[in-house]
Amino acid sequence: MIRDEEQHGSATPEAAGLLCVYSAGADGRIYLSIDQAGVVRAFNGHVDLGTGIRTSLAQIVAEELDVPFSHVEMILGDTRTGPDQGATIASETIQVAAIPLRQASATARAYLIDKAAAHLDAPRDRIILDEGVIRGSEGENWNIPIGDLVAGENIRLEIDPEASVKPVSSYRLVGSSRPRVDIPAKATGKWTYVHDVRIPGMLHGRVVRPPYAGFDHGDHVGNSLIAVDEASVAHIDGLVAVVAIGDFVGVVATREENAAEAARSLKVDWRPAPHQPDLNSPENALRANPATPRKLADRGNVDLALAASPQPMDRTYVWPYQMHASIGPSCAVADYRDGQLTVWSGTQNPFPMRRDLALLLDIPEDLIVVERLEAAGCYGRNCADDVTADAALLSRAVGAPVRVQLTREQEHAWEPKGAAQVMDVRGGLDLEGGPAAYDFQTRYPSNLAPTLPLILTGKVPPVAEVLQMGDRTAIPPYAYGNLRVTVHDMPPIARASWFRGVSAMPNTFAHECYVDELAAAAGVDPIEYRLRYLHDPRAVDLVRAVAERSKWVPHTTHGTLGGEGDLLYGRGFAYAVYVHGKFPGTAAAWAAWVADVAVNKKTGEVAVTKVICGQDSGLMINPDGVRHQIHGNIIQSTSRVLKEKVDFSSTAVTSKEWGGYSLITFPEVPDIDVLMIPRQDEPPLGVGESASVPSAAAIANAVYDATGIRFRELPFTPEKILAGLNGDEPIRTQTASRKRWWRNLGLSVAGSVAALSGLATMASPWRPAIPSIERPGSDVYSAATIERGRLASAAGACNVCHVGNDGTPFAGGRRFDTPFGAVYATNITPDVENGIGGWSYTAFERAMREGVSRDGHHLYPAHPYTSFAGADDADLQALYAYLTTQQPVAQRAPETRLKFPYSFRPMMAGWNAMFHKAEPFKYDASRDSQWNRGAYLVETLGHCSACHTDRNALGAEKRGAAHLSGGFADGWEAPALNAVAKGPVGWTEDAFFDYLRKGHSNQHGSAAGPMADVVKAMQPLPDSDIRAIANYLASLNADAAPDKAEAQREAALAASNAAKTEAARISPRGERIFNGACASCHGDDKILSSLALNSNLHANTPDNLLQALLTGVEAPAILAQTTGREAPEVMSMPSFRQTFDQRQLEDLAAYVRARFAPDKPAWDDFAAAMQRVNAAPH
Amino acid sequence: MVAIPMQINVNGEARSIEADPKTPLLYILRNDLALNGPKYGCGLGECGACAILVDGRAVRSCTIPLSAIGDRQVVTLEGLASGEELHPVQRAFIEEAAAQCGYCLNGMIIATAALVAAKVNAGEADIREALRHHLCRCGTHMEILAAARRAVRYAQSERQAIATPEAEKQA
Ligand code: FES
Ligand code: FES
Repeated sequence: MIRDEEQHGSATPEAAGLLCVYSAGADGRIYLSIDQAGVVRAFNGHVDLGTGIRTSLAQIVAEELDVPFSHVEMILGDTRTGPDQGATIASETIQVAAIPLRQASATARAYLIDKAAAHLDAPRDRIILDEGVIRGSEGENWNIPIGDLVAGENIRLEIDPEASVKPVSSYRLVGSSRPRVDIPAKATGKWTYVHDVRIPGMLHGRVVRPPYAGFDHGDHVGNSLIAVDEASVAHIDGLVAVVAIGDFVGVVATREENAAEAARSLKVDWRPAPHQPDLNSPENALRANPATPRKLADRGNVDLALAASPQPMDRTYVWPYQMHASIGPSCAVADYRDGQLTVWSGTQNPFPMRRDLALLLDIPEDLIVVERLEAAGCYGRNCADDVTADAALLSRAVGAPVRVQLTREQEHAWEPKGAAQVMDVRGGLDLEGGPAAYDFQTRYPSNLAPTLPLILTGKVPPVAEVLQMGDRTAIPPYAYGNLRVTVHDMPPIARASWFRGVSAMPNTFAHECYVDELAAAAGVDPIEYRLRYLHDPRAVDLVRAVAERSKWVPHTTHGTLGGEGDLLYGRGFAYAVYVHGKFPGTAAAWAAWVADVAVNKKTGEVAVTKVICGQDSGLMINPDGVRHQIHGNIIQSTSRVLKEKVDFSSTAVTSKEWGGYSLITFPEVPDIDVLMIPRQDEPPLGVGESASVPSAAAIANAVYDATGIRFRELPFTPEKILAGLNGDEPIRTQTASRKRWWRNLGLSVAGSVAALSGLATMASPWRPAIPSIERPGSDVYSAATIERGRLASAAGACNVCHVGNDGTPFAGGRRFDTPFGAVYATNITPDVENGIGGWSYTAFERAMREGVSRDGHHLYPAHPYTSFAGADDADLQALYAYLTTQQPVAQRAPETRLKFPYSFRPMMAGWNAMFHKAEPFKYDASRDSQWNRGAYLVETLGHCSACHTDRNALGAEKRGAAHLSGGFADGWEAPALNAVAKGPVGWTEDAFFDYLRKGHSNQHGSAAGPMADVVKAMQPLPDSDIRAIANYLASLNADAAPDKAEAQREAALAASNAAKTEAARISPRGERIFNGACASCHGDDKILSSLALNSNLHANTPDNLLQALLTGVEAPAILAQTTGREAPEVMSMPSFRQTFDQRQLEDLAAYVRARFAPDKPAWDDFAAAMQRVNAAPH
Repeated sequence: MVAIPMQINVNGEARSIEADPKTPLLYILRNDLALNGPKYGCGLGECGACAILVDGRAVRSCTIPLSAIGDRQVVTLEGLASGEELHPVQRAFIEEAAAQCGYCLNGMIIATAALVAAKVNAGEADIREALRHHLCRCGTHMEILAAARRAVRYAQSERQAIATPEAEKQA
């Protein structure tokens, strides 16, 4: 049985009856213990990053000690007693870190056998240790469990480097596959990841990062904070603290959602982030980065050979910035008390991180305990250490344990990236078609990425250190007679650190593409050409084995596999040995790939259809584990090659979620055939990274084989391939130029003043106040009247506008931005001071019908008295009754102050004379009662026209054809309710009914923004009223009929399907964002209604789309009660305000417009729409 | 941000919660109910790490406001097994060792459970489609696909086992 780390309380060496093995010296660290129950605990300084080394290490211990596998517990990365073996990097665990563990096991084994021999008084060679039990080699009946040999004693041994280890030939556990010990708990939710740590009194923290996202050096780092406005979050429940130290900013609250809300709403003033070089095409930036050349190899005479080459070939290969992209953003818990710190962390480096924490908090290292727990897989340095330090700072600030969870956006933006890299090869063919020379130069801007809070707080100066890490597999594997290899050591540009394959993956991309280019130029089969210059016998064996397994057909030109339809087929080869550690480094496993691709010459898409991968790993401790690592490497690296690239603005990382940084998905995963070379008699080699290394070259060579074109810069996105196939530059997003649709509201101020003052004389601008009354008692009205009032209030959706900012019904205070200035809804609760408690019905009615407040001042028509004027007396009376029975709220709504001249309220009298007809609603005798009821609700209480009708320059609803033909409300476009509607499907009565009743019609989609609130507010209305409204509105769309609508629906869906390819061509980045961020709900066959039916995609401007993206769309609560079980909309659309930048929104909008409204022209003037939407209150 | 008391049904039990109705269900499940199956991965509905079953359908708890649950039935990874007996999908994932770090495992199992319940004859394309918007960074896709195929087989033989006695009775 192997248990989780945190349960190993009894592993302390002080416990009674224990044998412990330590490293040499007085301060030796523990490697192994055996207790009297025979349980073996083994310690290793490296941690499990999701690769299953926990299982492999346990196999090594059980093997060497001859105990059952189930008796071994692995304790990884324990800083209290376990060994410090540095960071878990570079595939070293099995190859390097496991060695002392094995020796410790052998030491213990030798000791136990000696002890048994003494105890039994038998010669040592008669003693057998078998499955944890001492037996005799000649059938003696001894049977002593090893626990008995340590019972009652405390035995302390030092690792004996001479203790003899077992010969491989006698292995029974090592080399056989073992099921991973952690998976059952993980599959049932019982495993404790660092994200799952909960300790008593724990608070929740979030951090707010500076605007220079993803850059960690330069004078501005740690020096950009101007001010933090604590008042901006003072209203948040359970807020405990706002902490700012240098550029480190964090919040702490009692509940996680409140901490998240505080982090989102905290107003922080930062200095603008400085401009960075363009890292989207990183080649120039890397060449310009200061560098120190370091020569790794120089043999033959490169310059002479190059000068003599009849066919020189100079090539440059470019690797983009990429990210680890752990599926779980980093998380940690810290508990700082009495000058001591305990952290629960997913770090890769428990010991180095402890040094960082000591420095950060100014406390000695030995007062810090690091509890290492597993986190989401990381493939190098992610934000695990950063967040641990964040938690430590926040815990110290509040004196309580704090859990900090980074957001997806923060992990994406700030994780130390896998650096971009530029490789130059100068070379060519000699007269015989051999390689004349190989002059290789590589640039890799990366270091170890100092722990972020150290630099944000100024504990460590924000200076970019230079580290020598560009040299991994920089030496090509081929015997080039004239060889020069230079690595340009350079500081990072964007924050960067090691990422699986480190610099070896890009270096190999260059080596293995180049040798392929040489072979093609020489007219030789690419594998055959390599074998001429490859002299390492294990490498040669591997290459031959993989060629055979793949049924490689030698060929000397590209295109031999042909194609079908739009597809071209190709096959490519690459080989590498991953060299890690300080130059010249240690070789890990050898790996070779054959990749099959299909390239779509119409769309530019590259599908990797099959990968045959061979690997020579030496001794494999757990062969199944090795196979899984190979699979993982193949899939991850295929993803990197085809899809992955970090995007930057001029100041920061902009790829902040899975649409902006896309990963491979299940349908794209290739077939994989793994060939593991049996080498159980050779030393074990690291297998964590090797199979990634040949990926890029194998795929690039396959694409060449298919198309005849060499692509030398990753990733192989469709637009890049298409541009290559067309022999041109990538296409730009086209935006058709169209007339600006946005109406200009700015009738000149002078003009409007003139118009108004002319009219002012016609109506009395001054209206008398109506005396205040005593607040009417709540028992004055009958229950039936109050109920009728409740329904009238629902029909009027009064509470949508008059709701208090904290959600209190009718308390007022909501702000509405109009072209004339901000209007605030008033308090309409029966509070005498602040609300309408002192209003008589006469005063109320005058306000409702004439737009005059009790004290005689004119109301602005944001209050739709122009509609209410026609309401039945009985309804208004009931509404009055209902409002007077509400809870009074003593809270004054902000005063509305419009810009001059609109601030002069008496002018509204003139306005009213021009635009207001206070007359009762006229029923139409030629229509039935349902229609009339609907018309009444729509045109009076419902005041639909207030939003859905365009307004003139003076803010009055236009009349005639404009009525209900669409308007603007609250920063959203309110679409036309009549036949001029822009959506592809006509609105039938049923569609209106579904939409208004459930917030969703499957022919159109869901209500969003203010309309979602209206649907919610209308919930109390009986179905018959909703039906009546639907009936009336449908009559304005006389053309809409159910069968017609169904046909329109089908047609819209078909059109959007047909538009996919074109939309991807128009906006390739938008397509990726859509697939990564939107398609999980809005993709084909998803349960939500297709966006092709959504009016917002067909509208003249992208305003509503932007609103939905920026503010999100909440699943209205009403859906939970009213929709059938088959309805999907329990999920809300999240807000992407903090996620996408303007360019991403524009790309996405261009794509969804082209895909879902293919018959409509592209949206123009996107920037203006952004401005409008951003100006609306949110 | 006003906390109000609410009741939701999780893993067959009525649970009382006091929280802002807008709170994403994910936080409620993890923090109030101490359920570790659903994981925070993106909070944007993109990755699937937080998946749960709501009335048998796989949905993303990070984008579900507490208020939208009403009287629907929520099942998390913890609620799949009946007592000691694992859900066949869990068995399939364990048998195929379909995890590296395992952080995505919750979503993979939940999506597969919803798939096999809805489509007993799910083929390769159905499986890949059902998992399309579930991201795995470790590259465990091969093992996950094998586990999903195995889970489909289990679901089929379970159906048969249920169907057979019925058929016998009729014969
Ligand atoms: S966390 Fe919910 S989908 Fe990613
Ligand atoms: S196993 Fe690690 S993300 Fe899937």
